[in-house]
Amino acid sequence: MGNSEYILEMRNIRKTFGELVANDNVNLKVRKGTVHSIIGENGAGKSTLMNILTDIHKADSGDILLNGEKVHFKNSLDAARRGIGMIYQEFMLYRDLSVFDNIILGFEKKKWGFIIDRKACRKEIERICSEYSFNIPLDAIVKDLSVAMLQQVEIVKVLYRGADIIIMDEPTSVLTPQGIQGLFRAIRNLVGMGKTIIFISHKLKEVLEISDYITIMNHGRVVAEVLPNEVDEAKLASLMVGRDVILQANKVEPKIGDVLLSVKGLTVKDKDEIVRVKNVDFEIHSGEILGIAGVAGSGQQWIVEALFGLRRPEHGSQIIFDGKDITYVSPREHRLDGIGYVPQDRMGSGVNAKSSLWENSIMGYHIAHGFKNKYLVDTKQANEFTDEIVEQFDVRRQANKDKVAALSGGNIQKMVVGREFLQRNKLLIIEDPTRGIDVGAIEFIWQKIIDLAQEGVAVLLISHELNEVMQLSDTIKVIYNGQLYDGGRHGELTEEEIGLIMLGGNADAK
Amino acid sequence: MPNNEKRKLFNFFPKKLSADLEKKDKRNILIFKYTTSLILFVVAGALLVWMQDESPIEAVKGIWKGSFGSLTAFGNTLRWAAPSILTGAAAIVAFKAGVNNLGIEGQVAIGGFVAGILGVFFEFPPVVHILFILICATLSGLLWSVIPAILRLFFKVDEFITTMMMNYVANYLTQYLVQQVLAGGLDNWGYVNMASTPTINGSAYLPDFIPDTTATLAVPVAFLISFAIAFLYRYTVEGYELKQVGENLKFAKAGGVKVVQQYLIIFLLSGAIAGLCGGIEVLGTYHKFNNGFAANMGWEGISIARIAELNPVGLIFVGFIWGVLKAGSMQMERMVGVNRLTVQIVEYMFVLFISIDYEGIYMRHKDRKNKKAYLESHKEASNNA
Repeated sequence: MGNSEYILEMRNIRKTFGELVANDNVNLKVRKGTVHSIIGENGAGKSTLMNILTDIHKADSGDILLNGEKVHFKNSLDAARRGIGMIYQEFMLYRDLSVFDNIILGFEKKKWGFIIDRKACRKEIERICSEYSFNIPLDAIVKDLSVAMLQQVEIVKVLYRGADIIIMDEPTSVLTPQGIQGLFRAIRNLVGMGKTIIFISHKLKEVLEISDYITIMNHGRVVAEVLPNEVDEAKLASLMVGRDVILQANKVEPKIGDVLLSVKGLTVKDKDEIVRVKNVDFEIHSGEILGIAGVAGSGQQWIVEALFGLRRPEHGSQIIFDGKDITYVSPREHRLDGIGYVPQDRMGSGVNAKSSLWENSIMGYHIAHGFKNKYLVDTKQANEFTDEIVEQFDVRRQANKDKVAALSGGNIQKMVVGREFLQRNKLLIIEDPTRGIDVGAIEFIWQKIIDLAQEGVAVLLISHELNEVMQLSDTIKVIYNGQLYDGGRHGELTEEEIGLIMLGGNADAK
Repeated sequence: MPNNEKRKLFNFFPKKLSADLEKKDKRNILIFKYTTSLILFVVAGALLVWMQDESPIEAVKGIWKGSFGSLTAFGNTLRWAAPSILTGAAAIVAFKAGVNNLGIEGQVAIGGFVAGILGVFFEFPPVVHILFILICATLSGLLWSVIPAILRLFFKVDEFITTMMMNYVANYLTQYLVQQVLAGGLDNWGYVNMASTPTINGSAYLPDFIPDTTATLAVPVAFLISFAIAFLYRYTVEGYELKQVGENLKFAKAGGVKVVQQYLIIFLLSGAIAGLCGGIEVLGTYHKFNNGFAANMGWEGISIARIAELNPVGLIFVGFIWGVLKAGSMQMERMVGVNRLTVQIVEYMFVLFISIDYEGIYMRHKDRKNKKAYLESHKEASNNA
């Protein structure tokens, strides 16, 4: 029966993890040749559903139908052979192999059963690239490529594996605005050629732009299925969260105090001696939120690393915090001085996924605040602090001794933000605080940032979301090619004007 | 290798079901794991003995007699348990903190060599002499591990390679010094003995733990060190930081941990324990440094640590069993015609058995059971309707 209306149907999928019902009789019907979005809060069950579809998890019950036929996958590879391809948020590519090797890995065409027929593989990849108009350097080594390019490699990889249904998990979170438009062109192209896309995202604007159908999940159930022309962003958000959400920061008049952090002539080179940050000056007052907007890779990372003592700035740079020169001091002293840091690299610098929630929660806290006994970890105190984070930041977990790897990305982010926000720091360096978390939690974290500033905390906000910077910041700076440009006060410039500076359109008006 | 997970965008650890383990599951898995491995271990051992046309039961009797049969036998068991526990402790300190110290063997050798030399060329009052030698042996093991630590920290050379290579350096260096520089010295019979240092002075002999057996004070020292490590990792801030540094260096650094210092400490601590073990072996058992006496001790330590799942208290039990097998296998060889290497083969097979992914097997089984139960309950519900 290959003539079903739906290429994919998931019927009554149920999956439990211990007490937690991750999917509660979920039904999903996807039409061939469409972009079908699935949205929902963190922990709503989207990932579980997709993991069942790709056979990473086995459902407790329920059926999967491809083209109207019931299928049982033996394993993930089997699912891939049946035409289900997944592109993960964190790319599954081997850094040190070439693009070509990464694409054919596991699906090599063979001569005489055991020799890799590289020529045939290459021909096939080239055919795919020309058919779907991708332009990727097959012989480049993966680690040398940009994120946007890697995403294309991932798409070509799943196409090479013969995917008809391509699942994209948060594909836009790592891309620049231009990259997102490129991805959308590719998606439209793929759909035009008869492929089906399942698109998972938190960014409602993008969902509305690209989708043909939208399924909304909440607490393991499908709560609504809508067409993009029936709804707007606010309506989607309220369906997702189950209440009305204001996608607007509640900005109040800042209480700006004395200069807390002053940076003069900051110059940073990377390990290849390339100058990434050039002669940057700025000041942050207590109670002020200073936002730095910019396209990813413009030098934000190096500014932050230098500010937090993770990277040595060049000679002539000067960073003064609270009257103390901290240009060359270690992160430990930053912690002791009352500087908090929410890193962009969540799974790297943000947490230790192999350790438990409480062990992650007290990192930094154990230095800045310490325990009753200097040498011993006070389990009670550690658990109290963890509980405080869990409660105030709505981290969904079963126990404090759960491994962090068991939490979803959004919950991990909430834990990291909570850890830094609850330590009564004087200065917070925050990178992409809302990356990968849902609208309800974004609203909450924005409010927290504003509240902290009201209490006199200085905030340096670095975000790849221009909207976030514009909504929250009292002072806006724009980074382009390692240099800082003025982006005006809160609300002074429009999104378009700042966008232009981000792309270097205002390079002479420093 | 520990670095991989630090690279953003490239996370390879698969979503594992272990995330959803309940307390009960963990206990069940533990029981399942050790009983299955033990059964496999016994079966494999019986099979190997039987293949040599001997009775497995007689062999076990031999092992029992050699390990528990008399006070002397029990002393032998403890004597062998002590170095097993100590090398295991050196491995646990390092592996728990994510440092792949494969150089325990070399550190033991260096510690033993230093003990052998100091035991011969110095003479102090007994207690002072022993303490002096053990401290020096510990320090020499520590210093021997400084080299790979520095290579790793400042030149990013993987300790996998350096520590392993340092084993060869240690073995051949001590051999060279014994043969060429010290030229043996006279052994008990007055011959030139090229394979070891001269016998140490009586003041450096480690006192017996159980009188008139081979069990020396090494035994309580080994126990104390295991407990100290357990305490370090469980209750101290230092242990917490060491663990974090080992598991995610970048995270620890951003959190304000002095990573260079902590990383060095892990390395040095592991090396120090290994060096101490070498010193104790020389003072307690051999009373001289024999070339290559440390051979395999490092690997055994790593195996034991593996079986004990890096748990310092579990280490004591595993080390004790190791001692039983070692002491018993010699008696077994005398009583029945089974080669003592058989026991070693089975020992290492045990390491293989324990490395099976029992958690995965258990969870798959449980998954299937849950699914069945769910389907059944639904059937009932529909029948009732």
